[in-house]
Amino acid sequence: MSFMHLSFYSAFALSSLGLAFHRTHLISALLCLESMMLSMYIALSIWPIENQAPSFTLMPMLMLTFSACEAGAGLAMLVASTRTHGSDHLHNLNLLQC
Amino acid sequence: METTLLLNTSLLLTLAIILTPTLLLPVSKTSSNSPTTITRTVKTAFLISLVPMTLFMLSGTESITSYWEWKFTTNFKIPLSFKMDQYSMMFFPIALFVTWSILQFATWYMASEPHITKFFFYLLTFLIAMLILTIANNMFLLFIGWEGVGMMSFLLIGWWQGRAEANTAALQAVLYNRIGDIGLILSMAWLASTMNTWEMQQAPLPTQTPTLPLLGLILAATGKSAQFGLHPWLPAAMEGPTPVSALLHSSTMVVAGIFLLIRTHPLLANNPTALTLCLCLGALSTLFAATCALTQNDIKKIIAFSTSSQLGLMMVTIGLNLPQLAFLHISTHAFFKAMLFLCSGTIIHSLNGEQDIRKMGGLQKMLPTTTSCLTIGNLALMGTPFLAGFYSKDLIIESLNTSYLNTWALLLTLLATSFTATYSLRMTLLVQTGFPRTPTNPPTNENNPMITNPITRLALGSILAGLLITSYITPTKTPPMTMPTTTKTAAVIATALGIALAMELSTMTHTLTYPKQNPHLNFSSSLGYFNPLMHRPNTTNLLNSGQKIASHLIDLSWYKKMGPEGLTDLQLMAIKTSTTLHTGLIKTYLGSFALSILLILSTQT
Repeated sequence: MSFMHLSFYSAFALSSLGLAFHRTHLISALLCLESMMLSMYIALSIWPIENQAPSFTLMPMLMLTFSACEAGAGLAMLVASTRTHGSDHLHNLNLLQC
Repeated sequence: METTLLLNTSLLLTLAIILTPTLLLPVSKTSSNSPTTITRTVKTAFLISLVPMTLFMLSGTESITSYWEWKFTTNFKIPLSFKMDQYSMMFFPIALFVTWSILQFATWYMASEPHITKFFFYLLTFLIAMLILTIANNMFLLFIGWEGVGMMSFLLIGWWQGRAEANTAALQAVLYNRIGDIGLILSMAWLASTMNTWEMQQAPLPTQTPTLPLLGLILAATGKSAQFGLHPWLPAAMEGPTPVSALLHSSTMVVAGIFLLIRTHPLLANNPTALTLCLCLGALSTLFAATCALTQNDIKKIIAFSTSSQLGLMMVTIGLNLPQLAFLHISTHAFFKAMLFLCSGTIIHSLNGEQDIRKMGGLQKMLPTTTSCLTIGNLALMGTPFLAGFYSKDLIIESLNTSYLNTWALLLTLLATSFTATYSLRMTLLVQTGFPRTPTNPPTNENNPMITNPITRLALGSILAGLLITSYITPTKTPPMTMPTTTKTAAVIATALGIALAMELSTMTHTLTYPKQNPHLNFSSSLGYFNPLMHRPNTTNLLNSGQKIASHLIDLSWYKKMGPEGLTDLQLMAIKTSTTLHTGLIKTYLGSFALSILLILSTQT
């Protein structure tokens, strides 16, 4: 595997593991989500350069837009959870009713 | 002259006279219902019941009357019908005579009893039930009488309610009678479904009767008449007062089972299996009871076992297909057995409550009338020639010897006859002769005519009854006329052997050697080990199997282990392990998401 592939895969995997196995705060999960997005952005940017196909250069911009929306939504939920539960601790986020 | 009219009228008058005290009961509670009144009532009823008996003896009149019909369903009607044939018309005067004597005796015996009127009422109710049983023409009335005598027996045995043994004995009597009632109801159900009637004349089939209803009737007789297998209640019933033992458990109630078989003998006559069963059961009962009576020390228990033995003999007679002879034995037996009980009652009261014959002796000088009548009764029981018992017992044994039957039954009956002589003579010797072994100065007193009159009357009956009945009643089957000399005198020889044995044994006891324990003595004195072998294990097994089926099998194992609750337990195990994964926390879900991604990646590449 080439060096780029390895770095991209490892960055993405590390971020997703960070998303899955965070400890206390929701914001650390959101940060890991952002880092996943960042690694994907860099990979998507390097991809047309590598393959000499300039028409795919638009892809990272689209992805960035959508990830900004998603980050905004995530932050809004963080604020909402802080407003209702008083903190953004993850053990507040319980699907069970009682 | 309209004989049937006179017959019916006088019999109904008898019944009406007996019912009078019960009708007067709600009206007046004063002395108009005292014991003397009731005794006089029964005496009047006896005198009037002599009219139908003499009518029958002189002209052979029989009748069946039915009064009112209970329309049970459209094609099953139960009439209230009375059958006045030789059995019921002979039984009425005999039962009333014996009851009159017993009631007269009981006015002295129970004089210190505060509820004496209630006692007499119970005896009267018992008498009414017994007479209903006797005169019934259909199984329904017979069942009413049957249950009535069983109930009164329970009330009268447990008369002294404060005594635990009396309550136990009464309960035992009711339970054993109930087991017999199952048989009676079985045969009644068969009769109702097969013949569509409960009238006994309509019953006989031309072909062989099926064995099942006959087994039911034999079971009913076993329960009521204390044959072997359902016999322990009769010795235990001696807990009741002596008049109760004299009336119920010697002359009248216990013969109800045999009477049932006499009434239904046309059904039995066709079925050799049932007859053989009666024969062997009766032979076994008579020998067992006679064996047990040999080592009893309570005077009432000896007489009770004697009754049981004679009932076995009556069952043997039924097994020989001779119902008339069985009825003759019932009639003669009533006289001397009731007299034996009354004599024992006098002896018990005279010795201030002592019932153990080892503590009696020399009473011949102290109670001459009573002991003379005791001797007469014992001689009649043994079948001394030309006393009352001879006419029935000797005929039975002659018929046994000349019939085509089971040798074993014959041997057992002959052995029981000699045992009868042995225990009767033992009782006589220990009670009457020898030196007194009672405490000094007992309150012996037989000067009261209320004691001596009944006993002497019954003694007269014991002597004459056999002769009178056989002279006036024509037998329906010819008795055996010719037989070898040994066969003819077999009963007397067996009795003489028993007497000789008893005399030998009595000389042994006077030498003051303590009897060593041996298996035969143990068998006899513990009543054949029947009570401890049957009472505990049967009930334990029944209750255990009930618990196994109802509780262990159904409740615990089907519902708890394998059925609904078992399924619950299985699910609970899986649920408990997966609860930790279902907490609803995002962390767990994300962790499982990561785990599954890793798994997929590792399997793909």
